[in-house]
Amino acid sequence: MKKTIFTFLSFIISLSIVSAQKGIDFSKKYSAGGKLLMSVDSGAKNVYYANVFPNQPNTSFSYLPDVNNLSIQINFRKNINIPSFRYTILEDDKPIVVNQSIDSTKLEDTDAGGDEEIFSSTFLGTFAVKGKVITVLVYSIEKPQDIEKSVFYGNPIPKAEILAFSKRTATEEGVDYSWVKHPKGKTKLTFSEKDDQITIVKDKSAIDYLYYTSIIDKRNDKVIFESTAWQYGGIVDKHEFLPFIDIDRSIFKKSGTYEIIIQPLIKWKTSSKEIQKYITRHTLSITLKEENYTKKDLLVYGLIICAVFGAIAGAILTYVKKKEVKKLMQQFKEKEIAKLQLNSVRSQLNPHFLFNALSGIQNLMNKNEIDNANKYLSKFARLTRNVLDDKELISLAQEGKLLDDYLQMEQLRFGFKYKINQAEDLDLENIEIPSMLLQPFVENAVKHGISQKANDGEIIIVFNKKANDLVLTVSDNGNGFDPMKKYNGLGLQLSDNRIALLNSIYKENRFILEKQSSSEGTTINLTLTDWL
Amino acid sequence: MKAILIDDEISNLENLRTLLEKHCPQVNIVAAAQNVNDAVNAIEIYLPDLVFLDIQMGKQTGFDVLKALPHRNFEVIFVTAYDQYGIQAVKFAALDYLLKPVDIDELKTAVNKASQKLAAQTQTSQLDFLLQQLKRPEATTSKIALPMQSEIRYIALSEIIRCEADNTYTFFYLTDNEKILVSKSLKEYADLLKPNGFLRTHQSHLVNPAFVKSWLKEDGGVLLLASGDKIPISKPNREIVKQALQQL
Repeated sequence: MKKTIFTFLSFIISLSIVSAQKGIDFSKKYSAGGKLLMSVDSGAKNVYYANVFPNQPNTSFSYLPDVNNLSIQINFRKNINIPSFRYTILEDDKPIVVNQSIDSTKLEDTDAGGDEEIFSSTFLGTFAVKGKVITVLVYSIEKPQDIEKSVFYGNPIPKAEILAFSKRTATEEGVDYSWVKHPKGKTKLTFSEKDDQITIVKDKSAIDYLYYTSIIDKRNDKVIFESTAWQYGGIVDKHEFLPFIDIDRSIFKKSGTYEIIIQPLIKWKTSSKEIQKYITRHTLSITLKEENYTKKDLLVYGLIICAVFGAIAGAILTYVKKKEVKKLMQQFKEKEIAKLQLNSVRSQLNPHFLFNALSGIQNLMNKNEIDNANKYLSKFARLTRNVLDDKELISLAQEGKLLDDYLQMEQLRFGFKYKINQAEDLDLENIEIPSMLLQPFVENAVKHGISQKANDGEIIIVFNKKANDLVLTVSDNGNGFDPMKKYNGLGLQLSDNRIALLNSIYKENRFILEKQSSSEGTTINLTLTDWL
Repeated sequence: MKAILIDDEISNLENLRTLLEKHCPQVNIVAAAQNVNDAVNAIEIYLPDLVFLDIQMGKQTGFDVLKALPHRNFEVIFVTAYDQYGIQAVKFAALDYLLKPVDIDELKTAVNKASQKLAAQTQTSQLDFLLQQLKRPEATTSKIALPMQSEIRYIALSEIIRCEADNTYTFFYLTDNEKILVSKSLKEYADLLKPNGFLRTHQSHLVNPAFVKSWLKEDGGVLLLASGDKIPISKPNREIVKQALQQL
């Protein structure tokens, strides 16, 4: 660093007198890129020299807003083949010097101020730069592609102008663009799922490479995007290539306010207020809209949603159905169990009178009453067969016949009277009831009601009809029993169970058992509701 | 009436003989047999008018006796103790049977019926029908014998639309619009035909489910038949009918 300073100082001393009339302060030398140095007006402020930019190799940019004149020098190291170098100078794109070789006669050695290295140096000229752009191109004919370019910018750097935004939308055919041209200050953009990119189009200038673009999320002031890489394409309505930047839409994670900032990448050395005039700001109000679907999408999504809901509904239905089937199975099972219990209850009714009946027949045989023995044997066989047949239902006529058989057999043992009355309008042959429904009550009437009363005892059985109900009544004139007390007779207990089971099987009907007992006798009413 | 008694147990033969001699003097017992061979021989020798035939005879049956005979010009009264086998077929053929121990009143009735039939010469075809029935697996009967006043009609079950009770009589409604009156209760036919799928919808109605068109909700449940008849369903039968129709 010291070496450089000393080099510059030696230049200043040796050349200051030469250019004094131009008002250039040769005491200050600014690096101007490549092999160039520059000196500017003595009073000039704001010399932003030797700015370099991404993607612009070998270009040095000096922004000289306050400079009227500048002097440009070129320095060569000693080992460089100076005659091979050429330079071109442009003033506002107009060449004023073209492919000029170095005038070796004017080359002077300049030391490096304490350094051993000695440079060969010469002036390329002094230029009025105010309101102009001076461009110097330096290259060796040995390497004509390696052009060192220095730009001395005497114009004010223009603020970048956003010419347009475009939004790219994926379609069935490919992509579609929608445009917002010449936006002012603030732009509202709505992005759907199909929008994948936005493009910022800038006005064209010779110094587009200066401009740095950033996007800031205003919620947290974080830079979510930055770029200095301008592309060029035939866009907007001008028939020329314009600089643009493509921005992936996905940088916008949420709806909200964003700011686009486009600014020249100058190494400013001034107040930020001063800098603001070079900065372009544009507010983007972004709305992310997820549900902006096309018809096809709607159909597809609709189908997916339907499928999902269908699956859920299906699952629920299957579950419900399974439950229903389970419930039905359960009901069926319960019914089967009830039926089995019913059967066992039914068959348990019989030993009570079966063996008594047999002993009654035995008695007839011993008394040599052959015809009576035959008669009662047949009755006994009928009763037994009815139990063994295990029929769920028998007709009222059959039930009456069995009760008649039974009572006749009991009459062998006890002397009593009985009647079986059947209402005339009952279709005895075809009305069916659970078999042996009344037998236990009749048995009870015989054993506990009238067995002590001998010939005065009377049992009356009635099959009657009340509206749609079938009413079966067994009454006796015995001593009665306490209906509230659980009777110890097995037959009656079983009958209670049986009626409960029947109620669980015949859900549409009710089996209602009423017991009335007094010292005058006992009456049992069994009502089968809606049976007829 | 010449009669032959067939039973594999000697005590049963003696008992029946005693009862017949005492209560049915018109029956002249010409022979008795305890096995199928003897029975066939006795029948071919004596050419009886009436045969009392036990169904279960050891490993053989009374039906084997009938099968062995080319000509069956006699009346048969089956006698069985507690025998499910064959009884259904006997009932389908509308043949007579007695249960052991034999009830004297039933015996008298059966003998009287047999002598009436002998005069009418109808039983041969019923025995043929019985033997055909026995070849079928149970509950796959396709026909039923319906005894009418002067003849026996053999009706395919598929021709029976429905049966309706009239006290101890039953009306059969057939597909050709014929209506047959049979002197047996609906209950008996319900017991016979339920295993074949017939539905007892009501105390007075038995329906062939093949002719059910729809279940009408009116009056708490009515079956509409293809014939246009509306058959009531009584409450105690509702659930069983519903289940049966669902399984169709």
